[in-house]
Amino acid sequence: MLSLTIDFARRFARNRAALVGFALVILVIGVALAAPWLFPRNPLRIVGKPEIWPFVSSRYPLGTDSLGRDIAAMIAYGARTTLLIGVCASLTATIIGISVGATAAYFGGWVDELLMRFTELFQTIPNLIFVLTIVAILGQKIEYVTIAVGIVTWTPIARLTRAEFMSLRDREFVQACRAMGMGNLRIMFGEILPNALPPVIVLSSLVIAGAVLFESAVSFLGLGDPNVSSWGRLIGDGRTLIRSSWYICAVPGLAIMLTVLALNLVGDGLNDALNPKLRDR
Amino acid sequence: MAAIALAPSAPLLEIDKLEVSLFTRRGVLPAIDGLSLTVSAGETLAIVGESGCGKSLAALSVMRLLPEPPAKIVGGAIRFMGRDLAGLSDREMQRVRGKDISMIFQDPMTSLNPVITIGDQLIEAIRCHADVSRKEASNRAVEMLRRVRIPDAERRLNDYPHQMSGGMSQRVMIAMAIACGPKLLIADEPTTALDVTIQAQILDLMKDVQTDTGMGLIIITHDLGVVAETADRVVVMYAGRKVEEAPVEGLFERPLHRYTRGLLGATPSAQRQGDRLVEITGSVPALENLPTGCAFQNRCPDAFDRCRAERPVLKPLLPHRTAACFAAEEELSRDVAAIGS
Repeated sequence: MLSLTIDFARRFARNRAALVGFALVILVIGVALAAPWLFPRNPLRIVGKPEIWPFVSSRYPLGTDSLGRDIAAMIAYGARTTLLIGVCASLTATIIGISVGATAAYFGGWVDELLMRFTELFQTIPNLIFVLTIVAILGQKIEYVTIAVGIVTWTPIARLTRAEFMSLRDREFVQACRAMGMGNLRIMFGEILPNALPPVIVLSSLVIAGAVLFESAVSFLGLGDPNVSSWGRLIGDGRTLIRSSWYICAVPGLAIMLTVLALNLVGDGLNDALNPKLRDR
Repeated sequence: MAAIALAPSAPLLEIDKLEVSLFTRRGVLPAIDGLSLTVSAGETLAIVGESGCGKSLAALSVMRLLPEPPAKIVGGAIRFMGRDLAGLSDREMQRVRGKDISMIFQDPMTSLNPVITIGDQLIEAIRCHADVSRKEASNRAVEMLRRVRIPDAERRLNDYPHQMSGGMSQRVMIAMAIACGPKLLIADEPTTALDVTIQAQILDLMKDVQTDTGMGLIIITHDLGVVAETADRVVVMYAGRKVEEAPVEGLFERPLHRYTRGLLGATPSAQRQGDRLVEITGSVPALENLPTGCAFQNRCPDAFDRCRAERPVLKPLLPHRTAACFAAEEELSRDVAAIGS
């Protein structure tokens, strides 16, 4: 197991861009974790004069917004919201996607037919509108935003899992497991899933990036949780001042861009490291 | 038939007039047509035949693991220790698989899960049917690996399948198959994918396990060398039907069916060094256009009019032996006539 981990790390590290992405992700996670320590007070409190530009005041390195709130604090706390929603939504999407895809491929026939039509039904609904609808119905809370994003992003994971399961389902070792008297659930999740997981992990890491964007969009439109700081909300709040104090939009915008880029780079690196076809053995 | 079922030494497995059809776009094809056979505890039955003659399908039918669709059992019965397997629910059948009847497959390298250590796979196999702790299952796994003569068993538990050779993998497969003490082991071409030197070791191992446990053994093969080495009785299949059944010595001494004769003629042997191998010309007829009469007629050197007109049925031609061959019938009756005169 240890040798496999080292092997994995070496292949991942061969992709330089992935390393940069990984470093950025670690940085964002670090800032998110350190937020209460760096900025002990509520980030949504008004702390100073409004519209102080970045790098002007040493107390507010990233400036203040139109209400005089510390942008640096909001970015740090926003990182928590953004990452939490991104990871949880991706987890939700992965669980739904794997369950649906695995069941469809393993049982085949009408089960497959039914589940795939169901998946396509979800794919035909425009994603953002779907998210907004769900949030509008359930309410503006961070949990509901997470669930909403999870519900719209599971379809590609389901299709990928299905494809992987299809090719693995008829392999001899699955037959051997059946001959040993294993039940369907045990074969699906104990035997086939570990084989199907690498590409699914890669896709899930990319779904995190997508989820970050969805969360930003929802918050930008003012449908996010009003009690937490979020990057998208900061951009939304700043948009009225975009001609005078454009930094209010630009700073969180940059944060979103870098985070999404970093997550995509990590996804690429994972793909290189986990794809057996790229292994040089 | 009824008398046999009531006899005290009832067979372990009894396949009775099994019919399996393939439902394909080209129509319904009879993949297995009226196959009957029995295996008793401690006995080794070999099923021999070319690829596509239905031997693997017969094995999968017993396990109820036929790929459905296209294959489906359409007739006959499979009884294990007197119980009709077709009547069991899926859950009951699951309990039979691995515990009562186990199966090992042709290619050991692909029969093991590539991303799980062999120890974990063995432990899973044991815990499938025995309600034991992981620790205990792990101890039993080591014991099983020792039993199939894998050196350094404790350390091997942490190996992945790709770290093992083909022979070692097949030993692991055997260990998994016998982990829950099955009464019947079906080995589908167990040595075909292995080196010749390893083949004998694996066959020896299976025979040893059989001697220890008294389980019934079905070996499916196209290799008559394997048959000679392991089997007590042989069933020869051709195009989905049983064409000959005989004790192993009798079969090698005097094959009755012309197809069996062909198989023996096409197998190299130490006694006939220097002789040319005789091939069986032509190929197995496709299931969708089986000829009327004997399915082997187009490849048979001794086929005559009757073979083309009428399908031969299995007849007891010699003691303990049956064959479905008109040429063999004629030949035997000529022998009898010669002795009589």
